[in-house]
Amino acid sequence: MNQSAVNVEVNNYRVSDSLKYFGKGATNFVGGLAILFALWWIGIYFMSADPARQHFADFGPIPAIKAIGYAWEDGLVQSAVMSSGARLGLGLLLAISIGVPLGILMGSSKKFRELSNAPFQLLRMISPLSWEPIAVIVFVTWDQAIVFLLVIASLWPIAFATAAGLSKVDPAWFKVARNLGAKPRHILTQIIIPAIAFDVLTGIRLALGVAWIVLVPAEFLGVDSGLGYTIQDARETLQYDYLMAMVLIIGAIGYLLDSTCVFLIKRYSWTRGEV
Amino acid sequence: MSDGSAQVPAAPIQRVAEPGLVGSTGRRLRNGVIGLGILFALWWLGGYLIYLNPKTTHFASFGPVPTFKAFPEMLSDGLIQSAVLASGYRLGVGLLIAVLIGVPLGIMMGRSKWFRELSNSPFQVIRMVSPLSWMPLAVLVFYTWNQSIIFLIAIASVWPVAYATAAGLAKVDPAWFKVARNLGAKPVQLLTRIIIPAIAFDIFTGIRLALGIAWVVLVPAEFLGVTSGLGYAIEDAREALAYDHLTAIVLVIGIIGWSLDSICVFFIKRFSWHHSG
Repeated sequence: MNQSAVNVEVNNYRVSDSLKYFGKGATNFVGGLAILFALWWIGIYFMSADPARQHFADFGPIPAIKAIGYAWEDGLVQSAVMSSGARLGLGLLLAISIGVPLGILMGSSKKFRELSNAPFQLLRMISPLSWEPIAVIVFVTWDQAIVFLLVIASLWPIAFATAAGLSKVDPAWFKVARNLGAKPRHILTQIIIPAIAFDVLTGIRLALGVAWIVLVPAEFLGVDSGLGYTIQDARETLQYDYLMAMVLIIGAIGYLLDSTCVFLIKRYSWTRGEV
Repeated sequence: MSDGSAQVPAAPIQRVAEPGLVGSTGRRLRNGVIGLGILFALWWLGGYLIYLNPKTTHFASFGPVPTFKAFPEMLSDGLIQSAVLASGYRLGVGLLIAVLIGVPLGIMMGRSKWFRELSNSPFQVIRMVSPLSWMPLAVLVFYTWNQSIIFLIAIASVWPVAYATAAGLAKVDPAWFKVARNLGAKPVQLLTRIIIPAIAFDIFTGIRLALGIAWVVLVPAEFLGVTSGLGYAIEDAREALAYDHLTAIVLVIGIIGWSLDSICVFFIKRFSWHHSG
């Protein structure tokens, strides 16, 4: 009787405590964004106060948020997000399905790692958009060319992170598994994948960041859909409120994708004291 | 291991040095050259296949032989030098601004919990705005295209520097500050004697990441507006259908990027004080 009362009290305390933490986190989250919007509003207010630059008023937060509403009603936001999302998703999927095996090869074979290091470093540091003229000639459609650019940009973080993860795996585990009669397939599914999931996801997070940077300029040219195209279109039609709305949407989606990666990284982390 | 070092040609100078070290660097160098050789062989094969196909034969200058033939001509015309100088200037100024803003920002994020928690959501949103989407805005705000490109590089590379600085500061043992204060250190000395040496490693890690991102942003930023730099050179070669020039510039971009990245790695190793790093 007495003990359960204590338990309830402890539980209540914990619930209220975590609620308090959550509340504090949410307050800071909203407060930080509110400060950003306030600074944005003040900046645009002073810029457009000068009559010569009155047209800058459209860059302010209030027109931008209104424009998000209009663009949503017209289906502009949805279609741009869908087509950019399809390209990004396909590009990342291809990068993962090439990058992870490549990383496993680099991590497990010393010969391959040393031979591939110089060419891979050279290819990695070729700025992805400089492949664009070549991609446009090689691929039939612009869509394919954009996906190629995303793949070649995001392949390297995934491959190098996978290789780094594999090099941290204790060789004794393989010995133990083999002694316990594990087949190569079992070693892959029971040891390698759980051990490097954390590193692969870290690589995917980096890859997503780079792909997100590459996506917008890749969509500036050729295509007539996607977030990059919408920005370019808003600029050419001088609809600055739509422009800022798109910038805001790109930031919000990027933040959401990045947070998803961080969540997964924490979920699959087994090394303590990191992250 | 002993077999490996025995195969290395035994030059008299190499014998003086530590045999194991020379053996491994020699092997690594050899593997690097072979690896690049394989890359060029595959490239040559691709170019040859393009040449054989009558439909694509006019694209044959994508191959390595025309590309290497283009180099002397481009170098004597000063094409490569001027492109590298123009891009290097933009990259250098952009990164300098990013470091000058990012390091103090990171120190503030690392030292003040209040600032860190409040700044997290706005900084994450701004960080994940793809840098090139600032382009239309930058062009309106700044007078010259050069300034807009520098702004794009700075806004892309400020975040890795700031977050790496903050993460480095979080790892610093708080006891060091206590000890320093007890020994009578002033804030300036705290900064120069403790904070900077402790986080130099992390700052350089951040600069390396920033450089990688700035390198990605630089080329598309130079596609528009300007008439100099590596991005412009690519666009120009494409419009002139000079495919050998195009691949030559792509190769130059890769080599310079690799060199800059290696310099960063050298500095990271130089300023590393925790052995696990």
